[in-house]
Amino acid sequence: MSESPRPPHASPQPAPSPPPAFEPKILAYVCNWCTYLGADLAGTTRLEYPPNVRIVRLPCTGRIDFNLIVKAFEIGADAVLVSGCHPGDCHYSAGNYHARRRWILFRELLDALGFDLRRIHFTWISAAEARKWQQVVQEITEQTRKLGPYADLYAAANFKPLPAPAGNGQGFKTFAAEGELREHCRKLLAEGAVKVVIGYGAGGPVMVTKPEEADRLVWNNRCYPNLTTYLKRKEVNALGKPAVVVKPCDEKSLVVLENEAQIARQDIHVIGMACEGVGQPKCVHCATRTPRFADVALGQPAGPEPPASPSPNRFAALLAMSPAERMAFWAAEFDRCVKCYACRQVCPLCYCERCIVDRNRPIEIDPAPSVKGNFAWQIARAFHLAGRCIGCGECSRACPAGIDLALLNISLHVAAQKYFGFEAGMDPKAEPVIGSYALQDKEDFIR
Amino acid sequence: MSEILAQSALRALAAEWLAAGKRVAGPVRVKPDLVLYRPLRSADELLLDGFQRPANSIKEFLFPKAETLYSYRIVGSSIELVESQANLPDQILLAARPCDAAALPILDHVFNWDFLDAFYNRRRAATTVITLACAAHDESCFCTSVGLHPASERGADALLLDLGDGSFEVRCFTDKTRALFNGKTQKSPRSAKASAGPEKRFDPQQMRAFVTAHFEDPFWQEHSLACLGCGSCAFTCPTCHCFDIVDAGPTAGRARVRAWDSCQFPLFTAHASGHNPRPVQPARQRQRILHKFAIYPEKFGEILCTGCGNCARNCPVGLGVLSLLSETPHG
Repeated sequence: MSESPRPPHASPQPAPSPPPAFEPKILAYVCNWCTYLGADLAGTTRLEYPPNVRIVRLPCTGRIDFNLIVKAFEIGADAVLVSGCHPGDCHYSAGNYHARRRWILFRELLDALGFDLRRIHFTWISAAEARKWQQVVQEITEQTRKLGPYADLYAAANFKPLPAPAGNGQGFKTFAAEGELREHCRKLLAEGAVKVVIGYGAGGPVMVTKPEEADRLVWNNRCYPNLTTYLKRKEVNALGKPAVVVKPCDEKSLVVLENEAQIARQDIHVIGMACEGVGQPKCVHCATRTPRFADVALGQPAGPEPPASPSPNRFAALLAMSPAERMAFWAAEFDRCVKCYACRQVCPLCYCERCIVDRNRPIEIDPAPSVKGNFAWQIARAFHLAGRCIGCGECSRACPAGIDLALLNISLHVAAQKYFGFEAGMDPKAEPVIGSYALQDKEDFIR
Repeated sequence: MSEILAQSALRALAAEWLAAGKRVAGPVRVKPDLVLYRPLRSADELLLDGFQRPANSIKEFLFPKAETLYSYRIVGSSIELVESQANLPDQILLAARPCDAAALPILDHVFNWDFLDAFYNRRRAATTVITLACAAHDESCFCTSVGLHPASERGADALLLDLGDGSFEVRCFTDKTRALFNGKTQKSPRSAKASAGPEKRFDPQQMRAFVTAHFEDPFWQEHSLACLGCGSCAFTCPTCHCFDIVDAGPTAGRARVRAWDSCQFPLFTAHASGHNPRPVQPARQRQRILHKFAIYPEKFGEILCTGCGNCARNCPVGLGVLSLLSETPHG
């Protein structure tokens, strides 16, 4: 680029100019009916506000995809503002209530990921509040100017590892109910009550279709997988009515699947096994050793054997880090992600026919396992499970790169409990957290 | 007489190579229960024992999981293409497993068949592979079934064999490694004895005959129902090499990127019409085995598997080439 011509009044030998002051770029997603009109009014009433804000007008805050907030930072925004109608004023009645609930949860996920929350702003600005728009933009611009450019985004410097979760530590142990399980399944298949038993075999999950093969089933402390994930698989469904063997932790996914109309509970025979623990990180904090939703419960509930070493509370350790350290932690972890999608495939609640990352018109998430692509994918995966994840921990177990993905789900689980007293998979009648709202939903960050 | 190098001297050499600006990669303990091939930040990171094999493979140093083919810039009203950087540092893959190194001559065929793949070839030319013979094997290993063994020389520029006393016997096969180790080793009358490796589990010729003759067979349905359709087997396999070319938009750097793909994904064969010739997982599992034991051998005269067992170790539901093939009537 050529140098701009010197203005006539400039001195012939100018002093070395100071570096140009940092001018933040702020991306504002605003709703068409309130905030956009408020901003428009600010213009027509000649209210001055900094030109740093770029407005993207959307029909309603309720339809703002959470990915857009992440995308704003990825394309170079230093701060993001999301603004819509005041509660009660939504043009579509309830869009902003839905948005509020999503932001409450999404903000917690971004916090766990180490995003700088001082750069993410939410406001309600009505069509009449030109002055509020002016003030908000002035304040955000000033604040972001002080923060400087968002250089920490996806930066892997300052990496600190988390304490490792306790390993299995136990020798192989067959549980007493194994014989009972085989007998029960043999009978089910012989009587034709079910066509297939989805159970654990010596090497991994097995689909047993003949009564004489019931002895392939095992029940021991290596029964890791959450078998309810097979209920979404075409090839398995084609076999006919299934019986599925579940641990008390895993069966919660059935509650969510039924709640979301993905399964007809009466068409599935659920065999709940009283669990003594399978030595996974989740077992240390597990409070459900007895099946509650099963058609038949086998075995005697027993406390788990104490783990070889007490598991450090990984989530508390994550939150104890500074946001920059958290982001560095995830940047280093996601650097190993190869996008094999094992996390998605093992998840009983990831059942979309076509995942958002497999959609290519338009490409919403970079399909390559790049830094941005991996962040975008893991954010989308975690948030699509907000208030749905039942904490089976399969995503972490399946990851060949050893990324503790469940931590992201835990952040949303904790948030759903904290703000809405909601725990996924506990109540078949409960309304899903995302997709419902309450007028009295409380937050402390929307201006 | 054999050439001997102390473990401490090997580390010192690695440090020397790093200091000289080479990229040195080798097994690194990333987490208490996870060892991966990673670029070394220091020679101390290099892990030489106490594990079976890394959970990934060295292919990512020649065929990265995401490689920018070219990028573009918007200049005024036109678009300018930008070649991807051709300057790659020399890289040394140190203490790689023989089953990883053996994959490279296999991959060479496919990247130099009808089209000479400059991206792969330029990395290949800048790479030196120094393997470390396996002293032990686990239940997932099956290199002996595919014609290799724990001290196999295939694809390696040099092979290290543990003498059990804190030193290695060094066997150099190419000028690259003769130059690297020149003057660094000592002569010794001692020679290492390679481990025998796992028992042979199947015969690849018989497997080829079986999979070719049983394309339509309930076998595939029966033995791959548990497959969840993730790509962890393919992405950690030293020989799987399928890729997709994707356009990364403005958020991801305006580039055309080659990224790993896997035949285990439904999208891999999905047609624009909506038709999918491999509509269910058993068909995709069959494809993976067929490609490794029949299609690739037919085209290039060798099988597309080095028996490393990564597919089984990384499978969340305990499948893998070996478990599937041991279930065949010949297994």
